[in-house]
Amino acid sequence: MTTSPLTTRRPVSALKRYWPQYLAISPFYILFLVFGLFPIVFSLYISLHDWDGIGTMKWVGLAQFQYLLVDPRFWNAVSNTFIIWFMSTIPMLFFALVIAVLLHQNIRSKGFYRVAYFMPNVTSMVAMALVFGSVFSDTFGIVNSALKSLSLDTVPWLTSDWGIKTTIAVMVIWRFTGYNAIIYLAGLQAISSDVYDAAKMDGAGTARIFAQVTIPMLRPVILFTVITSTIGGLSLFTEPQVLLGNTGGPNESGMTIVLYQYNQAFTQFDFGYGSAIGWALFVIAALFAAINWWLVSERTGTKKWGRTK
Amino acid sequence: MLNDESGNPMDNLSRRRFMSVTMAVAGLAATGALVGCSRTESISTDPNLLTLWYWKRSISEKLLDSARRSITGTPRRLRTDLIGGDFDVKLRTSLAGRAYVPDITGLNSNVALYFPSEDQFVDMNELGAQEHKADYLPWKWQFGVTPTGRMCFWPMDTGPTAQFYRTDLFAAASLPRDPDEVAATTNTWPAWLDAGKKLKRNSGVSLLANASIVYSQIVNASAERYFSPAGRALFQDPGGTIRRAWDVAVAAAQAGITAKVLTPAEQNSAWVSGKVASNIEAVWWGPILKSTAPNSSGKWAVAHQPGAPGNSGGSFLAIPKSCKDPKAAFDFITWLTSPEAQIQTYEDVQLFPSAPKAFESPRLSSPDKFFGGQDVLGVFQESAKEVPITFISPYDSQVSEGVLKELTNVETQGKDPDRAWADAMNQGIRQLEKRGLMK
Repeated sequence: MTTSPLTTRRPVSALKRYWPQYLAISPFYILFLVFGLFPIVFSLYISLHDWDGIGTMKWVGLAQFQYLLVDPRFWNAVSNTFIIWFMSTIPMLFFALVIAVLLHQNIRSKGFYRVAYFMPNVTSMVAMALVFGSVFSDTFGIVNSALKSLSLDTVPWLTSDWGIKTTIAVMVIWRFTGYNAIIYLAGLQAISSDVYDAAKMDGAGTARIFAQVTIPMLRPVILFTVITSTIGGLSLFTEPQVLLGNTGGPNESGMTIVLYQYNQAFTQFDFGYGSAIGWALFVIAALFAAINWWLVSERTGTKKWGRTK
Repeated sequence: MLNDESGNPMDNLSRRRFMSVTMAVAGLAATGALVGCSRTESISTDPNLLTLWYWKRSISEKLLDSARRSITGTPRRLRTDLIGGDFDVKLRTSLAGRAYVPDITGLNSNVALYFPSEDQFVDMNELGAQEHKADYLPWKWQFGVTPTGRMCFWPMDTGPTAQFYRTDLFAAASLPRDPDEVAATTNTWPAWLDAGKKLKRNSGVSLLANASIVYSQIVNASAERYFSPAGRALFQDPGGTIRRAWDVAVAAAQAGITAKVLTPAEQNSAWVSGKVASNIEAVWWGPILKSTAPNSSGKWAVAHQPGAPGNSGGSFLAIPKSCKDPKAAFDFITWLTSPEAQIQTYEDVQLFPSAPKAFESPRLSSPDKFFGGQDVLGVFQESAKEVPITFISPYDSQVSEGVLKELTNVETQGKDPDRAWADAMNQGIRQLEKRGLMK
């Protein structure tokens, strides 16, 4: 034990010395502890029990997870989630990029278009589902009316397997294209015009500039949108729930992982199984996070923002 | 001062004082919250104030106004909390947390889901429930009695069912127009199917929006459902209610008399456009239809449904065991659901009475212009007296979910009915086995 004032930076003294700072940042950690960490840990605890939300909890060990592995409804939800994610993300990011490039040009009333494309993102989901439900209605929808007037076969949008998935994918595309376009636009504005001028000097056409200058320089932004839409896609819930209800429509074609979790926990009051599904989703999301991390660090880790190679 | 990082003793002092005050406030709040959690189960501490949880349009505001001043026959007053969003989740959360539980609560028609936790509620038999039993429809009363015989869920409103139909569309397809004749022509399910085929053939109009409606309404009108009160599984019986309802629904789907319209938005279009000519639903559907399709006023009528009438919907009142004065709560409940009060409830929020004495009031039998001047309430009052006593188990929905899913598969995707039935049974059994309810 030393009495020298120079060696007082031991942990305890540091706590004593900096307690106001610790206190000042504590609200976040306290709130996180109560509303973040505790529910996470508790859901793991619940997933090892059979519990209806009020009565006594019955310990069942890993039975919920065993059931999950052979539950066809769960695997159907997993495959639906990935199919809808795939069907929505690729067109969504493509359209977003096209819109961003167009908005980046010298066009009139740019501000209006930016707001207009962003509007779907802040529109009420319930109102949106009602509109989509009417537009894609099998019998009464304008999409089928249009198909009919063109003497084409109508599509059972809300009762067939692919119809349901397409409708949900279209809802996702409609809602998030503008959001991603705004992010791309920000990325485009950060690219120096010198690069474009140099490319033009070298005789590159518009298409070539887009493919070989714009896209490579936007790569970090594109990766960011891929990651955010992966997170969004894996937790897809509101669109199918408001469009088709708690069972995901005919043959559960619109049942996603989170919707199945909600269905089990909050309509069947099977909180143990609902929690188990939540943790399965966590494993799947962690897997994707690892893949994304690998993509970002291995492929673009050495590249810096705004520098070409 | 904000930018001053010089360590001026004065600033340090005031900052420290500020911090200690903050700490003290935070500590006080935390202590208060802890005390609140550990000592009070009920949501209010005022001994004279009973708290009621209800949802929009479930109780007449005029009656509540009176109880807010004082509960008749007691020194207590009522505080009413209008619960928005998911009522069940909020009530379950407070019951599970044993904190902030209301003294009286409304419960919806899914009341059987609370049977496994019946010990959370007061048995109203101990408060004299039996004295009032004769005042209520016997089947509605029985819905509120748990399998162990405790009377925990008090009858509020009911939803006797009948068929709503478009007189003009029926007449255009050479079907009868008059309610009595319609009821006679469609008195059995095979006769109803024939009428549907005739309607489709003669005018291309569907009789029903989808096959799930007929399935659900047959179950709603049956004395036996998925389980016996003793917990025996009945749903697999080849001659049981579930299979019988399934067969009629499959026949309706395969005869092409359903419009395959599933979502609420599409169903609204169906009523407005007249592509679907009828619906089998409870009395509360009338006001919904009026606001959905106001232009079809005068073209609708109500007839008794094929087979027997059933019940769809209707809510209950319960007294959580933490209630600070169960006697006063019970007084409030019996006052709120007396025949006179239920007449008032009907006038204010159009909820159909559970006390048949209310039917005698002329205020519950006026000709309705929307239904071509028919006294539709009279039809439902007759239905209400014929609804069978039946048992809804907490686990019905574990099975019905799969059955309804497979029925929709048969209807919309042409799945083989035998395979669909086998898949539905498997899903139900798997689900029940997982929860330890079947071996």
